[in-house]
Amino acid sequence: MIDKASPQPPPVGRVVATEQKPATPHQFHFWTANETSIGIGAIVRVEGAGSGEQGAGKVVYGVVTDGFAYSDLATPLHDVVGAEGDPARAAESPTVRQEIRLWTAAVLRQQPEEPLQPVPLGRVHVATDTDVAQALRMDAYLDGTEPTAIPVGLYTSGGLEAPVYLDADFLLGPEAAHLNISGVSGLATKTSAVEFLLGSIFQHFPPHKGRIAAVCFNVKGPDLCFLDRPGVLEEEDRRRYERLAVRAQPFERVRYYAPFKADGVNLNTLRTHPDLVGDVEPLVWGLREVLDYAEVLLNRDDIDAKADAFIDFLSDRVVDKEFDDGFGGAHRVVTFADLERLFRSIFDGLELGGGRGDTWRTHHIATIRKVRNRLSNISTRAKGLVTDDGPSNDLPWGRFEDRAVYVVDVANVDPLGQDLVFARIVSKLREHLERRDLGVEAVVVFVDELNKYAPADGPETYVKKMLLDISERGRYLGLVLFGAEQFRSQVHRRVVGNAGTIVFGRMDSDELATPGYQVLSPAIKIKLATLPIGELMVRHPHFTQPIFVRFPRPAVLRGRDGVERFPPAADLPFEDAVVRQLVKLDRRVRPNLVKDLIVDRREEDVRRALAHTRQTRPQDAFAHFKKHLGGRVAAAPATARESVPPLNPISDEPY
Amino acid sequence: MSHSWVDAILAAGVVPASYVPEASVGRTDLEEFTGADPVEDPELRVHSLDGVRALAPAAVGFLDGIEQWRVVGYAGVTPIVRAYVAAAIRLRRTDRRPRTIGEDADELAITRLDRLPDAAREALERAGVRVVEISADDAGQPARALPAARIEVQKARAALERRLAERRLSGLGSDEWLVVDGVLSDSSALSAHPRVLGVVKSHGAEYFAGPELERALTLPAVRRTSVFRPKSRGARRDIYSWYLRLWPWEGNDLLYGLLRVEARAHPETVARASGISAWLTAERAPLATPDRRWDRLLYPIHDVETYLRARAPRDLLPAPGSRLPRTGT
Ligand SMILES: Nc1ncnc2c1ncn2[C@@H]1O[C@H](COP(=O)(O)OP(=O)(O)O)[C@@H](O)[C@H]1O
Ligand SMILES: [Mg+2]
Repeated sequence: MIDKASPQPPPVGRVVATEQKPATPHQFHFWTANETSIGIGAIVRVEGAGSGEQGAGKVVYGVVTDGFAYSDLATPLHDVVGAEGDPARAAESPTVRQEIRLWTAAVLRQQPEEPLQPVPLGRVHVATDTDVAQALRMDAYLDGTEPTAIPVGLYTSGGLEAPVYLDADFLLGPEAAHLNISGVSGLATKTSAVEFLLGSIFQHFPPHKGRIAAVCFNVKGPDLCFLDRPGVLEEEDRRRYERLAVRAQPFERVRYYAPFKADGVNLNTLRTHPDLVGDVEPLVWGLREVLDYAEVLLNRDDIDAKADAFIDFLSDRVVDKEFDDGFGGAHRVVTFADLERLFRSIFDGLELGGGRGDTWRTHHIATIRKVRNRLSNISTRAKGLVTDDGPSNDLPWGRFEDRAVYVVDVANVDPLGQDLVFARIVSKLREHLERRDLGVEAVVVFVDELNKYAPADGPETYVKKMLLDISERGRYLGLVLFGAEQFRSQVHRRVVGNAGTIVFGRMDSDELATPGYQVLSPAIKIKLATLPIGELMVRHPHFTQPIFVRFPRPAVLRGRDGVERFPPAADLPFEDAVVRQLVKLDRRVRPNLVKDLIVDRREEDVRRALAHTRQTRPQDAFAHFKKHLGGRVAAAPATARESVPPLNPISDEPY
Repeated sequence: MSHSWVDAILAAGVVPASYVPEASVGRTDLEEFTGADPVEDPELRVHSLDGVRALAPAAVGFLDGIEQWRVVGYAGVTPIVRAYVAAAIRLRRTDRRPRTIGEDADELAITRLDRLPDAAREALERAGVRVVEISADDAGQPARALPAARIEVQKARAALERRLAERRLSGLGSDEWLVVDGVLSDSSALSAHPRVLGVVKSHGAEYFAGPELERALTLPAVRRTSVFRPKSRGARRDIYSWYLRLWPWEGNDLLYGLLRVEARAHPETVARASGISAWLTAERAPLATPDRRWDRLLYPIHDVETYLRARAPRDLLPAPGSRLPRTGT
């Protein structure tokens, strides 16, 4: 992978040291010609001075962190005097003053490493491929019997270009794990960088580490809706792919999951173009799935131990069991609707019982009412995700495929619903990885807008605790968090702090002024604040200093372009949507027959029958559906459902 | 050449010393003229440079030299001086950045050989260093020995500068000028060349008296005097000269910003004197600070000097604190 034969370029600079600016084991200064390819972020190699001078035989690698230019002008006043106060004349002087380009570099590596000494006052060369590999200590994982190198981008400086690799053991566990990327929206290329890196990981994940998959939460418009579609690449992108030895291709295995809209039959995603919607699976959860993560719903408000206890009671003793309510009613609670019936009989029973007091099975009626409110709240606010009744449809737990991306589209789901989705999916991933029965050995979980889910301040929500838990323990399990956000300072310290790999795109200068960035030199900060699109600064455990790299556009269709090429379909009328769902299950289904069948049925009943058919996947979908729908009953007016509050906008951007 | 000859004579019994005499006011004309003949005007006049088109050569070489010296030992009271002289020409083309196109350096020992013990004398011979002798009288009196040595150092430097300049003349392009720090008149080749200028910033020689002297020394800024011909004496060549004031002297001293320009003795020099003066005035910027003589030191000359000093041997520079008595063993 490394071009060992590259010829040694001529020196471009010379280390200088004065009492004021000495060379130390960690930093040195060098000068170059005024016209030079050296710039902030350039990697250089210092060779011990010539024979007889100090430091012969030593090689030091460094990265340029600051630059200075000055002339022999003693005071600015002398320039004024020389130009007789006229700035225009200052440029006309017959001689140009002597001036210097002086650079400060931070040491990346010294060879030999011991004894650690000040950098010799030697010749400075622009780094070659080999030098970059040495400087970044990539030699340790590039070569050998089981290399673990994952291409992340190209280090480019002065016409030289060298691939930079991350170490899979430190990016995806077990040594270290997680990646955090921050920078301003639309310019930092956060989403793009993660897409590219996932592609690179899928192609370069070392065989000895097993199988890997990714779960990506789409939280913004159509961002991740077209990962299986090729995007537009330029010649330069293709060249970079080639240089990085990554094939420029969209993801081969992508599974999309999206909840329904409130109507329960149209999918709540922007991937609804007729050509594409076929491979979007509905994400539908029932009472069981919700109850297990009820803590998510409660701790946003003042959760108390009593409510917790009551939920545990429901979960352990009531759901999916024969249950006697104590007022003479027998229940088998499977769905939200069943639960609602149970609640009614409890309240009725307590009312009728008069003197029986205000507790039921040791649970106070106020607690019961509170839990009921919360549960019905979620089924209202996330109506398309949570079914009142009928079976659920979920990610393929236990059957995850190698190199597959599971996109879960929650972009238009109410925040409470989003929390529920995160909490449940991540917890399930964790459970299965712990039991080693997920189907893959490692999963990358990509969470965009991480600041919303693990904010630096605010209450300790379940989701935040869960993200913290992955950050701290995920690397042993193969559960790896890739988080993206505009402002790193707005994300919980321990979540970003545990990310072994930290990436920055174009940064906001106010953000750079916050204390978290004090270690960066002013020059690095200005570089970050003006970073061109497609360039990133990367920190990785093997690199002693942050490194700038360029990466190619991801080879997938951009969300924005995707919705243009594949405009989302308008919502179908109820019966058409049902037809489509059935046709998807069984191509032989005849639309008119379906329509005739459901024409005056209650929508709930139709949805339930549809969900059942989806879950059962029978040979003859229509027959199954018809049977489950049961005999025609007197057409009852559709019960007025509680009106659905308008969905909270997720972001300011379109979609 | 390294300074190993110093070690050799010390080994031969010379008492070690390390002394850099105080710098004096700077280099003066080695031989002094007296009097001048009018050339341009019957009597010295002041010429304004207003509206004069400055000469703007495409390429100008600037030549300067440096000298560094140090007493490195004594044989009895006779000093042995180690001197280093160097000169360079840096050529400035249209990119306005001077680049070195010629340089030379020399090291010499200055003493009186017959005052040295045999061993020391032999050591000097073996080392092959060029030895320059001062007179027996000067060598016997320390008060005279060092000024005499200093004159030898200056001569060596002037000779080196002259050699370098003369070598350059053959390769001088048709639109290339050579500006020399100091007088031209000690070289016939330089004195006769149409595109060589000497820029003199020390004014030891006396050419005028009375009202003419007053006119010369109270010359206002950006004015020149009439061209005159210094009266020659000894080996000096025929030359034309004029004074030029770069900066207003009022508030400083009479010599502040005052240059004397030398050019070949030829009618064309008179015709060009204003154009050359306007050119040299433009050379005021950039200022040659922090040099104390910046008011009359042209920046490109300063640049040559900086270059030479950067390349001179470090061990000849006066080291602060070096005159403290040695302690310990
Ligand atoms: N490597 C790249 N080279 C050039 N342009 C890129 C590159 N990566 C992304 N872009 C462009 O930059 C824009 C912003 O990218 P995006 O990933 O959406 O940023 P963010 O997620 O930070 O808002 C997109 O229009 C994308 O096409
Ligand atoms: Mg984004």
